Amino acid sequence: MRSRMPPQAYIDEAWFARERELLFKPLWQFVGLKVMLDKHNAFITRTLFGIPVVVQNFHGALRAFENICPHRQNPIQVAPHGVRPLFCGYHGWSFDREGATRIPHEDALYRFPQEERACIHLRRFALEVVGNLVFVCLAETPLPIKQQFGAAMLASLTASSLAYDSEVIMTTYEGHFNWKLAYENLRDGHHPRYLHARSLYQDVKFEASISEEGVAGLRRLQEAGIADRNRALGLMRSFSGGGRDAPMAAPPDEPYHAHVERYRDQDWYYNWLAFPNLHIASANGGHAFIIEHHIPVAAGRTDLVVYYLTAKKKQPYASSAAVLHAHMMGADVVMREDIAVMEQIQRTLHPGARSSHLGDYEYINASLELWYLDLMEGHFAL
Amino acid sequence: MPCKHVIGHGPELARALAAWRSVASLSTLELRPLEIDPAAGQAALACLDGLDDEGASAFVALDARFLNGMRLDLMASLRLRGIAMPALVEPGALVAAGVRMDDNCWIGAGAIIQHGSRIGFNTVIGAGAIVGSGVTVGHSAWIDEGVVIGRGARIGAQVTLGLGVIVGHGRQIGKLSIVDKAGRIEQDIAARTFIHATHAQPIVIIGA
Repeated sequence: MRSRMPPQAYIDEAWFARERELLFKPLWQFVGLKVMLDKHNAFITRTLFGIPVVVQNFHGALRAFENICPHRQNPIQVAPHGVRPLFCGYHGWSFDREGATRIPHEDALYRFPQEERACIHLRRFALEVVGNLVFVCLAETPLPIKQQFGAAMLASLTASSLAYDSEVIMTTYEGHFNWKLAYENLRDGHHPRYLHARSLYQDVKFEASISEEGVAGLRRLQEAGIADRNRALGLMRSFSGGGRDAPMAAPPDEPYHAHVERYRDQDWYYNWLAFPNLHIASANGGHAFIIEHHIPVAAGRTDLVVYYLTAKKKQPYASSAAVLHAHMMGADVVMREDIAVMEQIQRTLHPGARSSHLGDYEYINASLELWYLDLMEGHFAL
Repeated sequence: MPCKHVIGHGPELARALAAWRSVASLSTLELRPLEIDPAAGQAALACLDGLDDEGASAFVALDARFLNGMRLDLMASLRLRGIAMPALVEPGALVAAGVRMDDNCWIGAGAIIQHGSRIGFNTVIGAGAIVGSGVTVGHSAWIDEGVVIGRGARIGAQVTLGLGVIVGHGRQIGKLSIVDKAGRIEQDIAARTFIHATHAQPIVIIGA
C-alpha cells in the first residue's frame, strides 16, 4: 500500500514544531530511571522538545520542574545527573519540593512587590513512576497515563523494570535522523535478517509475518477513519505493547548470569515498545535490559539516550562494570547499524520525494501513520 | 634450570616472549609460553592447572580487554599459588631510581618513568610512554604506547589510556575508566567513565 506520509513529516522544521505541540506535549515522556534518583537530592536533567526538565529527589519524593531559575533563566542543575540540592549557582536561589523559592538577601537587594513575589516559583510538571521508569508530562492538564499506555502495558513495564539492577551504564548518541524513522524501524520485524544479519540476527531469528486480523483492522481504519478522541486514544494504546518477542537461537550463557536475579526464566528476546519514543529490550532472556529513549531535537536530529543494566545483582561482584561496558559496546554494533540506515534515509529525503510503499506485514506502521496524520491534520486532539 | 611461564594471547604474548628473551639469560632461565583463549572467559584459568610451580616464575601478557580484568584474574590465580611474578622492564626504558614498581608490571622499550612515581602491580606502560614525576598509577592499568602522563597525576586501578592521550599535570582519572580518544585531558575524570573516539558523548556508569 502507498504510504500517505509526506517527506515534510521528516524534514520540515515547521512540521516538527507542530508535531511537538500536538503530539509530544500532551503525552507522557520517559525521562529516566528511578534507580538514578534513589537518594535525597539525586537529580536527572533532560531537554524534552526544547524544554529543559529537572527531576529531583526531595527526601524520597520525586518532583519534575522546568530547569530554569526564575531570576535570570540560568539552568538550576547543569549536569545530566548527579546529587546536588536544587540550587542555582548564579545568585544562590534555592527551591523546595513545591518549587517555592528561597532568595538570599531578598529584602536588601530584590524588593519584589508582593504580587510579583507570589509568582516566583518553578514551573512544575506532572510526574509518574511506573516501576523503575520515571515519566513526565509537559501538559497543563495531563492525560491519565493509563490512557496513553493501557493497564496491561503499564503492568508489564512495572513488573519487568522492577527486575532492574541499580548499577546502570548510559550514553547518548547524537543521531541525524527524524525520530519517527526510529519507531518505524522498531516496528518493522523484517529488517533484522538483513540489516543485523551479522549481529543481532545471529542470536535471535526474528520472523516477520502478516496478521490477517491486523490487516483487516487496518482496512477498516482506512475506510472509516478515526471518528472521535476515544477511538484515537484506544488506537494509540495499541501502538504500545511488550513481552516475549522471539525465541533465542541458543540458551543464554554468560558467567555473570549466575550473579543476577533473572527476570522470568524463558530463553526469549523480550521487547517493549512504548509509544511514541521508548524502546526496552532484553536480548538474553531477562538477564539484562537495554533502554533506548529517542528524544526529538529537530526535524533531522534525534538524541538516542541508551541505558543498559543487568537484572538485580544477588550480591556485588567484581566484574560488574566490565560486564556493563562489554554489553554496551556489543549493543553499540546493532545500534550503529540502525542509526546508519536511518541517517541514510534522512539524507535521501527531499521535499519532492515520493511516498514509500508498505507491505501488509507493516500493518502496524501503516495504522500508526494513519493515526498520526489524522492527529496532525486536526481530526482529533490528544 | 628454573623456568618462567609466559602466559597470554596473540601479539602481547609474542611481544612479551621477545622482551623476556632480550633481558633474561636464556642459559639460566627457560621460557615456557602458554597461549590462552581470552574468549573462554573464566574457563581460560583452567589452563593454569597443569603448570609446574616448582621454582617457577611467571608473567601474564594480556591486553586491556574486560577493563583489564582478564589479566588481573590470571595474575591473581598465579599469585595465590605463590608463583613469583617479577616486573618486565624492556631495554631502553628509563626508570628513575626509587620508582616503585610491583609484580607483573611491564615497562615498554623507550618508556620514561620519572622520579617519585609508583606503578601498581599488573600495569602495562607502553613503549615510549612518559610518566612524569610523582605520578601514581594504580594496579592493572593499561597505558598505551606514547601516552604522556603529567607530573603528579593519579591514574586509578584498571584504567586504560589509549593512543594519543595526554593527561595534564595533577589530573585524576578514576578507576575502571577508559580514555581512548586522542587529546589532552585537563579535567578530572570520574571513575567508570568511558571516553571512546567512536562516541560523541562519554559512556558512564551510575550507581552500584
